[in-house]
Amino acid sequence: MFANFRQSMAWLHTWFGLALGYVLMVCFFFGALSVFDREFDRWALPETRFEPQPMPSFDKVLAPAFARLTPDEADYALNMPALHDPARGAPTPRLELPPDEYWAYTTHRDPVLAIGAGFRVPNPKDESLENHIHGNATIDPRSGEAVRADQLKIGSQWFFPLHYSLNWQWKNLGTFIVGLAGIIMLVALVSGVIMHRKIFREFFTFRPQKQTQRSLLDLHNLSGVVALPFHFFFAFTGVLIFAGYYYFPVSQFQLKPLHDRHEVVEARETGLPHQRAGVAAPLASVDAMMAEAKRRWAAHDMAGEIGFLQIHHLGDANGYVSIYRAGSDRVALVGEAIHFKASTGEVLREEPPRTPVQGLNEFLTGLHLQHFEHWTLRWLYVLGGLAGCACIATGFLFFVEKRKAAHARAGSQGARVVDALAVGCVTGMLVATLGMLLANRLLPEALIGKGDWEQRIFWGVWLASFAHAALRGAVVSRGGSNPAWREQCFAIAGLAVAAVLANWITTGDHLLRTLILEPYMAVAGVDLSLLTSAVLALVAARVLARRAQRQRLVTRDPAAEVVHA
Amino acid sequence: MKRLSVYENGINSRENKMDRTSVFPLKSLDIPLRVLAAVIGGWAASWSFVAFATAGLAALGSEFHDAETASLMLGVLLFGGIVMWAFAAPSTLRVWAVLLGGSLLFNLIALELQRMILS
Repeated sequence: MFANFRQSMAWLHTWFGLALGYVLMVCFFFGALSVFDREFDRWALPETRFEPQPMPSFDKVLAPAFARLTPDEADYALNMPALHDPARGAPTPRLELPPDEYWAYTTHRDPVLAIGAGFRVPNPKDESLENHIHGNATIDPRSGEAVRADQLKIGSQWFFPLHYSLNWQWKNLGTFIVGLAGIIMLVALVSGVIMHRKIFREFFTFRPQKQTQRSLLDLHNLSGVVALPFHFFFAFTGVLIFAGYYYFPVSQFQLKPLHDRHEVVEARETGLPHQRAGVAAPLASVDAMMAEAKRRWAAHDMAGEIGFLQIHHLGDANGYVSIYRAGSDRVALVGEAIHFKASTGEVLREEPPRTPVQGLNEFLTGLHLQHFEHWTLRWLYVLGGLAGCACIATGFLFFVEKRKAAHARAGSQGARVVDALAVGCVTGMLVATLGMLLANRLLPEALIGKGDWEQRIFWGVWLASFAHAALRGAVVSRGGSNPAWREQCFAIAGLAVAAVLANWITTGDHLLRTLILEPYMAVAGVDLSLLTSAVLALVAARVLARRAQRQRLVTRDPAAEVVHA
Repeated sequence: MKRLSVYENGINSRENKMDRTSVFPLKSLDIPLRVLAAVIGGWAASWSFVAFATAGLAALGSEFHDAETASLMLGVLLFGGIVMWAFAAPSTLRVWAVLLGGSLLFNLIALELQRMILS
């Protein structure tokens, strides 16, 4: 079909890159923002702007907070009919479902604590399933008070899931599209290197003064090659994290018998009961178990804080408490879990040393999810992610620059469409993000369902930026440049500055205070990043405006038009 | 207009491609069939490989989740490799034949290995 191997790789790189580059742009950009997801949360929820807290006392703080949890209405409406067996009586009313599982999760960057409960469906169709209706909340660990539930943690509940699911939950379609895009990213990197062959030279080649098309290609190669291991690693581990559950769930399909037998063997070996015994039992002091877990970690020379706490089969003789260590001080996402018998507090099991495969897997996923405490490395992650964005964006621009003159002659709209989509997913994505942050500060605090409104504004603004790019793009089909690029750059600068000002006005946290008077780096960092974005967007807008002016002068000269075409 | 470096010659020359003789009789369907083979066929073949490798490693005495994790790592890389091969291979028919045949074969072996382990 293709004349040679390199041509087939070039075709693959160009067309798959074009088709899925838009998705990859979202993955890389919101992935980069997710490095500081907790910091965006603080910015968006001013009442949670206090110092990170360790896991609070269970007996004093967590137990009453868990007791206040109720099964989520939407979860109940959706899953109760699927789990409950009508042959065994009427479904248990939502508020009468008994809790079966409690969990609490925190990291070294969390002032507030995420907690949740799994409520048991008493008469399920299939006893072997988990049969849980969930109820989650976020609490202030200092008091146990719940943080308002209809607010959105913009960093960890919007930007973060956006980068792996596009926040499109229907049939998990978003997650599948991102998975395919991840595979295509790996393919694009390898095929890109094959296309070029001069990989070493690409490190040092950038000719900004050359023809736009040439500089774009240099920048595309440079940003791709300089961070090549980073791009490859994140695409690979990103797919790997979801591979067993979404993409290749062999253990739930053809190998389910093998998997299920392993579960039974594992439960016997670990001594951690898979099912409830059906015999009521009290809960011993969890605080004592937490202290014992910390003591054992310290004895292994791994002193640390508790990151994750889970109680299984609550109120049952088979109940047990699992305590996991927070991974703040190492790359590998290790739990060093210690499991206690819930009714007595005796240690049932300490996780044995990991096998090499588990160790490798924990290292790879840990390096992707970066729970460790290392601010320099975090910023390098952000830069790597933005380099990925630059690589993808210059790929789009190169595609357009290369074709638009030919398309203009042939009367084709191809370059115009690709260019408009590129505007929408490069500058438009920033406009939507900033629009959401600004809306977060301007919408009244008391507004019911504030988080839902922020999401609607995010999609609305993004859609508008695509429409703007499409409407302003007619000039591309004549071989020119879309003015939407610079107009949206101006919008980015304006929105970013407005967001910083709105934060100051609505919370009183201006940079002088968050940097010097009462340092609070989470908010200062977001504000400073917003201002940096504003400056860069202004510079870009000015460069584009000057170039457009030059182009107008050139095209007025009919002789020069030939050169330009 | 200045000609750019050599490697782009292949990208935008759709006309050139149509001229070239192809082993596959339906030239206009060649690209869509390869795209489908790469994405759907590649997924199916990688899935089957993961099942085969998991069952195979388990049969060799590896712990189940170790076997699964190692197979997933290889399966993800394999998927990428298949996507590239689906376009590099000279014949579209062969791509489909290998992917379908491979999926079937790997699955059958995986199921047989599982039966052996569990019996």
